[in-house]
Order: sequence, then structure tokens, then C-alpha cells
Amino acid sequence: MRGSFKRFAFLALGLVLVGALTAAVAAARGTKSSASQIRNGGTLAIGLAEEPDALDPTIARTFVGRIVFQAMCEKLYDLDSHLNIVPQLAAALPQVSKDKLTYTIKLRKGIKFNDGTALNAAAVKTTIERYLTFKGSVRASEISPIKSVDAPNATTAVLHLSAPYSPLTAQLADRAGMILSPKALASGGSFAQNPVCVGPFSFKDRVAGDHITLVKSPFYYNKSKVHLASIVYRIMTDPSSRTQALRAGDIQVEDRIQSTDVPTLQKDKSVTVSKAVTIGYQGLTLNLGNKNGLLKPYSTVGTDLARSQFLRTAFDVALDRTTINKVVFGGLNQPDCFPIAPVSPWYKPSTKGLQCNLHSNVELAKKLVKASGVSSPSVNLMLGGTDPVTARLGQVIQSMEAAVGIKVSVTPTQFTTALNRADAGTFDAFAIGWSGRVDPDGNIYGFVSTKGTLNDSGFTNAKLDYILNGARKSLTTKSRNTLYRAAMQIIHTQRPLIYLYHPVNYYGITKKVTGVQIFGDGLIRAQFAGYAS
Amino acid sequence: MGGFLLRKAGAALVVVFLSSIVVFIGVRALPGDPALALGAENRDPAVLAAIRHAYGLDQPLPVQYVKWASRALRGDLGLDARQLPVGHTIITRIPITLELALLAVLIGVVIGIFAGVIAAVRRGKLSDHTATTSALVGLSVPHFWLGLMMIIVFAVDLHWLPASGYVSFHEHPLKNLEHLLMPALVLGTGLSAVLMRQTRSAMLNSLTADYVRTARAKGLSERSVIAKHALRNSLITVTTVVGLQLGALISGAVITEQIFVIPGFGRLTLEAVNERDYTLLQGVVLVAATGYVVVNLLVDVVYSLLNPRIRVSGSTTQ
Repeated sequence: MRGSFKRFAFLALGLVLVGALTAAVAAARGTKSSASQIRNGGTLAIGLAEEPDALDPTIARTFVGRIVFQAMCEKLYDLDSHLNIVPQLAAALPQVSKDKLTYTIKLRKGIKFNDGTALNAAAVKTTIERYLTFKGSVRASEISPIKSVDAPNATTAVLHLSAPYSPLTAQLADRAGMILSPKALASGGSFAQNPVCVGPFSFKDRVAGDHITLVKSPFYYNKSKVHLASIVYRIMTDPSSRTQALRAGDIQVEDRIQSTDVPTLQKDKSVTVSKAVTIGYQGLTLNLGNKNGLLKPYSTVGTDLARSQFLRTAFDVALDRTTINKVVFGGLNQPDCFPIAPVSPWYKPSTKGLQCNLHSNVELAKKLVKASGVSSPSVNLMLGGTDPVTARLGQVIQSMEAAVGIKVSVTPTQFTTALNRADAGTFDAFAIGWSGRVDPDGNIYGFVSTKGTLNDSGFTNAKLDYILNGARKSLTTKSRNTLYRAAMQIIHTQRPLIYLYHPVNYYGITKKVTGVQIFGDGLIRAQFAGYAS
Repeated sequence: MGGFLLRKAGAALVVVFLSSIVVFIGVRALPGDPALALGAENRDPAVLAAIRHAYGLDQPLPVQYVKWASRALRGDLGLDARQLPVGHTIITRIPITLELALLAVLIGVVIGIFAGVIAAVRRGKLSDHTATTSALVGLSVPHFWLGLMMIIVFAVDLHWLPASGYVSFHEHPLKNLEHLLMPALVLGTGLSAVLMRQTRSAMLNSLTADYVRTARAKGLSERSVIAKHALRNSLITVTTVVGLQLGALISGAVITEQIFVIPGFGRLTLEAVNERDYTLLQGVVLVAATGYVVVNLLVDVVYSLLNPRIRVSGSTTQ
């Protein structure tokens, strides 16, 4: 009995001291060298921050879904590291007719789907027609100007448009450009449960909520570039668990490290932290005319902000974007004033000559408040989340506005409920972000044009509509840049949205692995990665 | 007996039917339009309408209920937002949580009862104080903190155990144990603390009881008195507590499953709520509710077999 007691006493003491012991463990790690040679074989585990939805590009909506598609569903066009559109399954950029209504796409030869069937123009026709007509298709609205598709020969697909639409090529560089195997579509089974496209990896299995496994495709046209035997995407929604799994070696790539874990991983010698300034933005949507609900006739909502452009300017000028970034995000994001990110080739030309004050000007803001004629202005700021970081953002904005005499009340709101309220127009200001699109149209049109499906501000401006519609019809980069600069001037003056910063995503990659690429679109490109030999 | 069983089964069916209505309405009472949640960044009215149509959300509630219930009766719980069959997903998740809970119970019982016995036998001494303090710590430490600390020590620093994930037993028994050891320890810690306190209390009562004094008077060894007499009687209370705690463990596994990235039933429920996946959430809650009803029915049947007066009194009150 006495012996048992001693053993128990040791056990109990050990349990009590476990906290102190674990807290005292240093973060020192062994250094892993990274070699330049890549060996073939091995499985790469990527810890995803969310679970992808359906693995059918027709109905897929999530960002993480695009990460998985990246390795198994190639597109007609892709992006290079500078976010320029480049051909992928297509042999060249599309030839556009003079009237801008016909896009001729030449396909690369000798390409096979992962079921061994040939990729040809008929497959492109089948896929795009499915995107346009499938019940529940999310792609239909993205490529709605496409009226019909022809396949005059095996390597030529012709898209006929009902109206000029310059963002089309950018759309074909995303899910709308992923070509699906007609054989798989004809099989009658759920495509999402067994997706077949052209890609370096083919779908193997999916365990809901746990993982998705892809294996190296024997049919890929460039398989000598593919080193890994398989990629496993593990669903790890808890950010701390994701980081610890990377450090423990359970995963080799961590999707979007939470800001508080970035310094820890930067000190870890076995891990490389890659960052990507994304093409998305975070901002404040101001309700100016959304009185009756989204896309219903807009008229002023009569709030202090809606009534006075001076007050809106004061609200903006009072914000110190640099301080917001420092205090709320530990300086990890990129403060800015525009919907197009600096990583985009469109940024410089379309923001040329426009002023962006990253620091507040309290005196000017006070004068503007006075000039607005609104005595004791007040604003309710709805936060699109209830997490501590979002709450801190609200508090910082609140204190900055208080300094210039604008009283801000903050309402943290569950995200979907916040979207409901935003669409219904029951808010003054709404802190929300956008993941960003490669083409500027995707970051501007929907939010500020009268017909925009994301125009929660209820903003309507005939001149801006004219400019944005013109930019959709215009094909040359030069003319589109000019139009977007003009659009940006109106947005900057009227302020239906106040842009705060572009999120910078951080990714953890073990040094054993080489060749993982991350561009400004935030997607993890691991299809040509491998283990260093 | 046949009549008794029929009555109980009938009552259980009514409860399941009422539960299905509560589940159906409860899920729809969650704030936020599910079409907006499912649509992610796409809020094009045409897309949202397509989503509502695809999930039958554009139909009147009674129609939605009848369609869902009739499919559920045929064993088809529908497709979730990932276009995967809900029934299959649930069936694959339940055993994982059960395995985790049973392992936690095993750990909790072994540590809790052993510590409780030691504390009672050596009442007022250092070992008693140590065990009581440890139990207090075990009850107070949040699962998420303990889980993360264990991951840092045993997975990140020592590389003894994997930090996350799950491997099924039939796939690789040893790896299965490796993956479940830390989460089971985290869950078992709280349980062991509860059991330690219960065992200690029950043992203190037993050790002062007449039958223990008699056993000692008969000249039995102290080990035999404690193990064969005092502990055996104390275990009745402890067993009841274990039974009650098992249910709490299954529901309490949500956080542990989240931290250790175990694809269990708890994590599935959490995902379904977060994603506003009505089909999945309805299926999950319905299965859980039906599980409770079935277990209660079985308990009633077992009670009636053990004690015939129960079914007699049941029939006379009808």
C-alpha cells in the first residue's frame, strides 16, 4: 500500500506540475536544411483553414475549394506570379473579334483528362453549357454574357457573347475556366463526389470534415514536373491546432496562420513563413441609399453619414490606417485606401494621382464635422463577426472617431446575420471585407454600381455606372485603366465605401518541402512542390 | 411483457416524431439566411435563389418538413453543402467519438478510482491532500488549454505523439491509439477528478460501516477489506456517476475534437452550425435525439427485465 501511495504521490505531483512544465518548455527547434534538389514521391499534407464545399466547379463557392481545385482542375487560363493572365489549357490568350462579341480560344494539343479521355473543344462546350444551365450553378452569373459556344474543330472553342464583357478572360482564369470531363459528367453520378478534370493530381477520396486526398495523375501532360505522390488536404479549422500540427510535423503546409502565431513560427527554424499581400480588401460600407433592401430602388436613408458628404470625409480622415494595422493586427496587414491591391498590375495606373492618407488628420476632420452642419453626429458600426480581433477593430475606430466628435456605437454581429442586415439595409456602417478578384471589375462593379449585387451601400451614381459599364465593354488595358481611375475618383469623393487595408496572408511551410508557391490570389500552389532530397 | 414493450416503443416513436419537429424548427430558428451562408461571397439574387431552390428552402415549411421526414424514414438524410450523403457522414463519425469517449472513461476510471481509494484510506494525510488538490486542478483546467499544452509538450517538443488527426483502428491499431491518447487524457482528466471525489466520499462511508468493521474483526487483511468489501460497495455510486458522465463526455468531446482535429460527431455538429448547413445539422440532431430515445427505451426494457414490478406498475397506471 505504501508503495502505491508513493507512486500515486509522484503521479499527482506530476499532474499538478504539468502546467508549469509545459509553460517552461522553450521554443527552440532543430534546424532542417533545405536542399535545392527535389526527390520524387512522398505525401504533402496541407492544413486548410476551412472545409471546401462541393468539389464541383459548377456549384463551388468557397475560397479553400479553389486551393484544392488548383491541383486537380486546370483552367483555360491561369495567373502568373505577377497576377497576369496566362494560358493554361488554352494555347494562347483568346482572339477577340472587332465587335468584342466573339472569343476564339485555341486549345493545347495532346491533353488528357484524369480519366484518360481527351480534352477537346467539345469538352469545353459541354462544360461551359453546363455552367450556364445547371440548376444551382454559381458560375452562370459570372459568364452570363456568353450566349452560345461552338466547337468548329477539336482544338478551337468559340464563345459568342450577347454583349461585350472584358472581365471574361479573368473569369476563365478561375472556376468558370475549369474544364470537366464529359465522360465523368455523363456517368450520371455526382460530379462533386468524384470530380474528374485535367490536372497534375486526380481525386482519390474525401472524408467529410477530415481530409481530401489527391494522387499523382498518370495522364497529366507535364507529369515530369510533378514530384509528389499525393497531396492530402486536412481540414483544421482551429488556427492554434493548425500551427501546432505544422510544428509537430503532422502537416507540411499551413494555410493562413493566425496573426498571433506568426512571430512564433517566424522564430521556428524548421519552418518558412511566406506572406502574400492579397488582392482582397477590408473596409467600411456606409449605407447611403439602401433604405428598402438590396437592389430595390435606392433613396437616401437620411442618417448623418448619408446626408453629409463632409461628414463621410471627416469619418475617413479621422481614421489612422497605420495605427489600426499596428494596434489591431500587429502591423501584419497592408493599409491602403483603394479596392485594388498594390500587388495587382492594375493598381498603379488606376490610382495614379489619387491621395491616400494612411495617417489621420484630426484637425481637418474636426473642421469637416463642423462644415457638415451635423451637431453631435452619431454612427452605428456593425461588425461582421464576434471574434476578439473584429471587436478590437471596432473599438479602435470608435476611439478615433470620438477624437473628432463623431460618436460611434459598435454592434458585433454574427457574420450571416450581418449579411442579412446589410442586404436589408438596416445598418449605418458595416465593417466587411472582400477576398478580391484579379480583374478590377470584380472588386468595384458589384459594390458601387446601381445594379451591383453587392451594393449594400445603396449607392447610385449615373456617371459611375456609365464609366463602369464602359470599362466592361472596353478591351484595351490602357482605356480600362483610364476608366477605373475615373471611377476611383468618384468613389474616393463620395465614399460609399471606405477602404482600410489589404489583408496579408501568412503561410507556414516546412523547410523539408520546396516548390510551394503563393501568389496574390492567396491560393496555395503545391502541385509542383516536393521534398528536398 | 409484449404489451409493455409495445407501449414503450409507441411512446418512443411519438418522442422521435416530436423531436424531429423540434429539430426542424430549431434549425430554422438559427439567425441568418442559410442561402447567404452557403453562398459565401456570392450574393447574386439569382445564385441565392438557386441555392434556396436546390435545398428546398423556397418551399413552405410544412412541405419542407414532410419531404425531409419522408426521406429520413427511408434512411436518406439528404446531401449536405459538400454534396456528400449526410447519413454516411454521420455513420462514419459516431464510432470515432464513441471510441474517444470510452478511452477517456477508461483513463478516468483507472486514475479516479485509484486516487479516490488512496485518498480515503489515507484521509487527512499528504496523499489525501495531494489527491484532493489534483482533483480540483483537474476540474478547473479548461480542456482547450490542457489540450494545447499537451500538444506543445508531447507532439511539438518531444515528438512522441501526433498533434492532430485520426487513424481508424482497423487501418492501424497502434497509430489509432497514438492519435487518441492525448485527447482521451484531456477528456479523462476531468472525469478522473469527478470520480476521485465520488470514490473518496463513498469509500469514507464504507470504511466506517459495520460490515467493514466485521470484516476486520474476522481477521481479513487490510488490502482484502478495502478491495473486496469497502470498494465493491462504493462502486455502485461510482458506476452511476460513470454512466451519467459518459453522456457528458460525448457532448463535451466537441472542444477536444476541435483542438486535436479529430473528425468526430461533436466536430461535425459544430461545423454544421457554423456553416448553416441545414441538411447536415438536421441529420446530426435527429440522429442524436433518436439515439437518446433508443437508449432510454433500452434502459426501460432492461429495468423491466430486472424488476418485473416496473412493467406491472406501468400496466396498472395505463
